[in-house]
Amino acid sequence: MKLDVLHQPDSAIAKITMAPQEELIAEAGAMVAMSSDMNVSTTLRKGKGGGVFGGMKRMLAGESLFLSVFRSGNSDAEIYLAPKLLGDILPYQMKGTELVVQSTGYMASTPGVEIDLGFTGFKSLFSGESLFWLSASGSGLVLLSAFGSIYEVDIDGDYVVDTGHIVAFERTLDYSIAKANKSWAGAFFGGEGLVCQFRGTGKVFCQTHNPGAFGQLVGSKLPPRG
Amino acid sequence: MSTEIRYEIEHNPAYGSLKLRLNPNQTALVEPGAMAAMDSCIKMKAKAKGGLGKGIGRMLGGESFFVSEFTAEGRPGDLYVSPGVPGDIQYYRLDGSNGIMVQSSGFVASSTGVNIDSKFQGLKGFFSGESLFLLKATGSGDLWFSSFGAILEIPIAGSYVVDTGYIVAFEDTLNYSVEAINGLSFRGLKTGIFGGEGLVARFSGSGRLWVQSRNVYSFVNFLHPFRPAKSN
Repeated sequence: MKLDVLHQPDSAIAKITMAPQEELIAEAGAMVAMSSDMNVSTTLRKGKGGGVFGGMKRMLAGESLFLSVFRSGNSDAEIYLAPKLLGDILPYQMKGTELVVQSTGYMASTPGVEIDLGFTGFKSLFSGESLFWLSASGSGLVLLSAFGSIYEVDIDGDYVVDTGHIVAFERTLDYSIAKANKSWAGAFFGGEGLVCQFRGTGKVFCQTHNPGAFGQLVGSKLPPRG
Repeated sequence: MSTEIRYEIEHNPAYGSLKLRLNPNQTALVEPGAMAAMDSCIKMKAKAKGGLGKGIGRMLGGESFFVSEFTAEGRPGDLYVSPGVPGDIQYYRLDGSNGIMVQSSGFVASSTGVNIDSKFQGLKGFFSGESLFLLKATGSGDLWFSSFGAILEIPIAGSYVVDTGYIVAFEDTLNYSVEAINGLSFRGLKTGIFGGEGLVARFSGSGRLWVQSRNVYSFVNFLHPFRPAKSN
């Protein structure tokens, strides 16, 4: 399998060249174009909470939780995958560790990577937002997508990241969710101002723009949902 | 091959902008509302391409296609054209031998020798759900079209499958059929409020195809949950 990420950082698109009988798992809707002999099937991962029913509920709420499995035929094949929002794509190599990924930050993975939906670590705190987390484990490649550019923070000790700017983080890090300083954040940003406090050693991948903040800015100016 | 209208495409791929350098008394056809800046010698005229009657027919069909004519009167002038969404601009030279199909919102500009037909009837499959209208450009001259995100050219020899929401343009030497692929949607459940039925176009033959790296429907589906709830 060969990966080329083109048009970085704003309009990034991944071109994946696959050998015969190789498999790739991707978020449904990420497929732009592909060789015509590619086989496509659907897989619905049972989450740690939710299960299939939880998955359906989220799907009806507008989140596509099911994944497409692309399998090449008897000859080489290629496929183009793109994220929803303008921004970059980051390939991340899994080596038996766990990675926590924001649902909008997951684009695709190779079959050696297990994707679990409904990572419950943040569940109660995020119940009001149309955002959930998933966990990737095993080994292989994960393609992450961001709103804007991606930057990496190498944490050794303590660090604080706004939850809306997290694309993914390594599970070697301990984390806890806290409100940002009440005296200004709540009033000034009008949002929840939730931050993630990390501790330990590991990497956090951040996006330069916050999809929730952008969604609220534009969405509030649109006509009401009918 | 030299172009009829001299041009430069600047700020590709995310913020593509087209600069046309018109000779004295040269005319360009431009997407209405896309003119960003121009020399004062350039004069504009709104025009329904293909005559007024046809224009009205298109409006009733839910799709209007008008163009603006820009002419440099008496001396040369520069005209900056900016598409509505951030993305790329692609140039295509029509030499009279074949036509090109362009997604209707993708038309940016052309020289006057290009005929644009928005009543092309051969594409019914595209109209189910995802409302992708195609323009057919024929004749000879210069054509510029735009995308949401970057444009990628895929040369097809044999066959290829493309999600209909990502099609920007393709040469009419290609044959295609529209179908739903089950693995891209889930037992009839759509992946979004708009589009997302897993509709793809299966192209065959040989010719060039251009896709865009972002899909307007995906973007709209992202924004949908942020809309205010209806208050009664």
